[in-house]
Amino acid sequence: MKRVITGNQAVAYGVILSRVDVISAYPITPQTTIVEELSELIASGRLKTKFLKVESEHSAMAALIGASTGGVRTFTATSSHGLAYMHEMLHWASGARLPIVLVNVNRALGAPWNIWGDQSDSLSQRDTGWIQLYCENNQEVLDTIVQAYLIAETVRLPVMVVLDAFVLSHTAEAVEIPSIEEVDSILPPFCPDYPIDTQEPRAYSVITTPDYFLEFRYKVQKAMEQVPEVAKKVDDEFKARFGRGYGAIERYGKEGAKVLLMTSGTVTSTSRTVIKKLVEKGLSVAGIKIKRFRPFPSEEICEAIQGAKKIAVIDRNLSAGVGGIFAQELRASLYSREERPPVFGFVSGLGGRDITPELIEEAIQYTMEHPQPEGDIVWLGLKR
Amino acid sequence: MNKVKVPIAENLGHGHLACAGCGAAVAMRLTLKALGEKTVMVFPASCWSIVPGFWPYSSYKITAVHAGFVTGAATASGVRAALDVRGDDETLVAVWAGDGGTFDIGLQALSGAAERNEDLLYICNDNEGYMNTGTQRSSATPLLAWTTTTPVMQPKENPKKDIMAIMADHHIPYAATATIAYPEDLIRKLEKARSIRGTRFIHLFSPCPPGWKMPSEQTIKISRLAVRSRIFPLYEIENGRFYTIQEETRVVSVKEYLKIQGRFSHLTEKDIEMTQRNTDDAWERLQRKARC
Amino acid sequence: MSKQFQFKSVSEMPMISVSLGDMEWNKTGAWRTQRPFYEDKTPPCSAACPAGNDIVAFIQKIAKGDFEGAWNIIKEENPFPGVCGRVCFHPCESKCNRGSFDEPIAIHALERFVAGFGSRLSKNTGKSGEKRKEKVAIIGSGPAGMSCAYHLARLHHDVTVFESLPLAGGMLRMGIPSYRLPREVLDRELSGIEALGVKIQTGVALGEDVRLEDLKNYRAIFISTGAHRSRGLQIPGEKEKGILGGLDLLKRMNLGKRMKLGDKIAIIGGGNTAIDVARSVIRLGKKATILYRRSREEMPAFAEEITEALEEGVKIRYLVNPIRLQQKDGLKRLECLRMELGEQDESGRRKPVPIPNSNLRIDVDHVIVAAGEEIEASFLPEGLEKKEGIVLTRRDASTGIKGVFAGGDLTSTQRTVAHAIGSGKKAAMAIDAFLEGKDTEEAIVQHLVGEGPSLSIFRYLHPGERPRNPHIVPFEELNMDYFELAKRQEESKRRVKERIRDFNEVTSTLTEDAVLEEAGRCFGCGTCNECENCYVFCPDVSILKSGGILSHQVDYDYCKGCGICFTECPRGAISLKEEAK
Repeated sequence: MKRVITGNQAVAYGVILSRVDVISAYPITPQTTIVEELSELIASGRLKTKFLKVESEHSAMAALIGASTGGVRTFTATSSHGLAYMHEMLHWASGARLPIVLVNVNRALGAPWNIWGDQSDSLSQRDTGWIQLYCENNQEVLDTIVQAYLIAETVRLPVMVVLDAFVLSHTAEAVEIPSIEEVDSILPPFCPDYPIDTQEPRAYSVITTPDYFLEFRYKVQKAMEQVPEVAKKVDDEFKARFGRGYGAIERYGKEGAKVLLMTSGTVTSTSRTVIKKLVEKGLSVAGIKIKRFRPFPSEEICEAIQGAKKIAVIDRNLSAGVGGIFAQELRASLYSREERPPVFGFVSGLGGRDITPELIEEAIQYTMEHPQPEGDIVWLGLKR
Repeated sequence: MNKVKVPIAENLGHGHLACAGCGAAVAMRLTLKALGEKTVMVFPASCWSIVPGFWPYSSYKITAVHAGFVTGAATASGVRAALDVRGDDETLVAVWAGDGGTFDIGLQALSGAAERNEDLLYICNDNEGYMNTGTQRSSATPLLAWTTTTPVMQPKENPKKDIMAIMADHHIPYAATATIAYPEDLIRKLEKARSIRGTRFIHLFSPCPPGWKMPSEQTIKISRLAVRSRIFPLYEIENGRFYTIQEETRVVSVKEYLKIQGRFSHLTEKDIEMTQRNTDDAWERLQRKARC
Repeated sequence: MSKQFQFKSVSEMPMISVSLGDMEWNKTGAWRTQRPFYEDKTPPCSAACPAGNDIVAFIQKIAKGDFEGAWNIIKEENPFPGVCGRVCFHPCESKCNRGSFDEPIAIHALERFVAGFGSRLSKNTGKSGEKRKEKVAIIGSGPAGMSCAYHLARLHHDVTVFESLPLAGGMLRMGIPSYRLPREVLDRELSGIEALGVKIQTGVALGEDVRLEDLKNYRAIFISTGAHRSRGLQIPGEKEKGILGGLDLLKRMNLGKRMKLGDKIAIIGGGNTAIDVARSVIRLGKKATILYRRSREEMPAFAEEITEALEEGVKIRYLVNPIRLQQKDGLKRLECLRMELGEQDESGRRKPVPIPNSNLRIDVDHVIVAAGEEIEASFLPEGLEKKEGIVLTRRDASTGIKGVFAGGDLTSTQRTVAHAIGSGKKAAMAIDAFLEGKDTEEAIVQHLVGEGPSLSIFRYLHPGERPRNPHIVPFEELNMDYFELAKRQEESKRRVKERIRDFNEVTSTLTEDAVLEEAGRCFGCGTCNECENCYVFCPDVSILKSGGILSHQVDYDYCKGCGICFTECPRGAISLKEEAK
């Protein structure tokens, strides 16, 4: 069934199709229509899910930690300050190895107040032990939620599914919505490792001394290291079933291109048209879409960039004092390789400003013209 | 004198790490006796994150979910939701939080859960300060008390927060104060709370020998003096409105209570008189509420 | 059962930090610097009981509704609970710690109730046919002699009691009026002793019908002939006819002899005999006036007896002392001097000092002198050492003659029923030890209640079964938090108008409800009654219930020595000592 729906509605469909047991959420722009949609679905009886309408994002995540410990499938959605407010509990969720799925609608963090798209919120959480998957369109949003549960419940780590504010969250697109039975056929019910059982009482998250803490964190890392393989298998099965797959990254444009452009989220869609145009013009350019940010797909990227002389990265985020976060991660990935093309770190579109085809073209132009970037950050569209 | 009757089951095991004479350990033991094995207890950070022992051990013989400091009521809401989804409406979900985790950092989550009337029993183990971190003041620390952050040159300048009034104004079905010197009263209240649905709140007063600078063998005595001096009266509130006071027939002056605790040793006669007046006023107000 | 884990490899560890075992392996007892322990200490009541009753033990049985258990405990130490429950001056009650809280426990009333309950139990003790060890003779069937006989019989000896009067019971029968001690109570308790195989030969007087030499076939002899002789006033006219000793009068009445008495009777003295005489003659329809040389405060008679006497119409003239007695026209005229109180004398009471020229005369029909009793030494065998009116004995009741022991009023100035019973018990223990060839003195010292002189024959009979710390628990060692003020249960008394018409008992036994209530008031000083405080309040789950006499135990593997159990024990049955390091 195909429907024209917004990104936030796609989220709601993903939740329905994944047979989520417990939702706990707190409203924040631009996530609000997700909780509204879910409330409507529950009120109308179409969704048999318990929805805890808690008083804060911190409590939302805490409640899911409780519920997931209780052995059921859980979901929340948030954005920006909400995600930041959850921060402490994000660590807890991954440390407790709870397969919670969270949708974050990317939005800038104040001050000053700003409600528009910016990846600083989700990227600030990169060290919390969560898998992070970025989406380019509403179809991918829906599909990624289903995949997220499959990955999370296999490796026992929480997953954050990320979509852009307004450009996806509030923009309607045609989305193929699979039937719940079809989804059931690939997503089995959640089967917890240590479900709460008062017949066999135990204590969870018991304080752990330096003697063993390192080992528990080692296990988290090992789980993260499983993700590429697990995610690939999930994606392959999904593709076999539904005809749609996404990979950890996607390379498009000219084969063997000398200049590559790396993006994530909706900027990728704009980049696709720009690169298509430039390739048609005869330029040796190609694009790389990063879908999975955590664990960072270093292997996949290094394979995809073979032969490239320069890589441009457009970051809609800023780690002040360093630069764009995707660019940083890329540089780190390249360091151990023999081939280390220069990375041009463009920062643009913060706080929801459009990253227009012109700006993207300007970035590619700059990359082609300069042997090296003039600094760690190249500001794109800055009013000088 | 009658035998004190408490349930036989021991759901707190030997070898736990509570300080000698820990009032909260008495409270925990009695509480777990009263609540029984079909209980999931959520523990936001407090002494009770440490007392039961380090991984891979635990002294709890019930299901224990350790949780973030802020999150007692929220985590418990989630556990409750999971059990509901699983069709388990028999198991009790309880929270055991300290006064810091209740009066201060956990208040928002508690207020949220109480407003939603979550089906859980919230127990605030009040030892009037951040004892696990070495006795810092909390909003449950009484006026003029010494703590490491309210030194005797500048003891606590603000009176203790009235958590019971706050909880009463959430109109939850049941709220009660209790303390270890009155084990049968405590157990009765826990059992009553267990039989009610919705948010139940027990304000459980537990003396802390090291934090209050008192001899470990005085724990029960002080708990009793707190009630007899009306520093900590025993009462119940149903639906935020109906007050029942368990009145102590033997009333003592607050001085009797204060004088055996090192944390009050700097109090002057004037300070003690003021404390007495404040206590009398609070008692008067409580009685007025009970009369309505 | 407690497992300790040691993970060598990360692969052995679970995914998350869920608990895998308990903390039982962590022996927190190692933290302890002080050690609590249970101790069966001595309650002040028992220590004060001359008869050595295990008071707290029997009251605790009562509190549980186990009256037979209470009866058995009392009978371990004392064959006369019905007597003591009525006539003992109950020093136990004046030492009762509850007196410092509200009012002492009515111990005598509880004992009396239990005696009544016990009297309804089957009497078949089944001891009479038993083979006996040694023959022992007892001279005098008063409370000392019969107590000694009772305990010796329980120690399997062959006991014969010789009594000069036609009826057994000594002072219990001759000195105490039946409105205080009904004869059926006394008879029942005496026959209870006989039922153990004790033989009583009445009408056999020492020195007259039998001499010490005649008793050669007895391996031991206990002399308890009492103090029966009324002490005179040493005033002119005293030896005249018609002047009776108080005890003589009581003896006559109690033997059922008729007497002619005038209407107005003066009784001289302030002791219990004086009161007994006065109240007896009131019951014969006469007017009784007691003349006493000091004031009411100094009267040696029991306060309650004085009150009852006054209620019944006995008049007491204080601060008068007869100096001469004259007879005139069938009347007796007492010439007295008024007195005033001076300095304290050696008895601690203020000494009466005559006021010069304050003479007054009192005319009466009869004068009864009840100014104390003394022993009759004339018939006593030679070789008994005497001093200041009593026969001297050693700590083990022995006399200068080998195998001859003495006790009761004969050997003491503390002439009460309870002292006599205790003294008989002591002699029984000493005689048993003597006959067994053991150290008699040691036998006594080992079984003192508290610091003595009360004795526990239970512990003599059952060595090691209930070791007791001699420490007497003072009020300060109790925890009053656990006790509510509660009124002492009082026995009801017959109305004055009715009771002066006959010699029937004045006070009645408490009801069962009242007894349970009164027993519930007992602090149980120094004796665990399983109130469970220690168990309930232990933060470390370290009180074990074992079910023995010391029914609870401390689990030293885990006890951190906080001392809560010590503080919260209501009755001081837990002690705390420094842990040896």
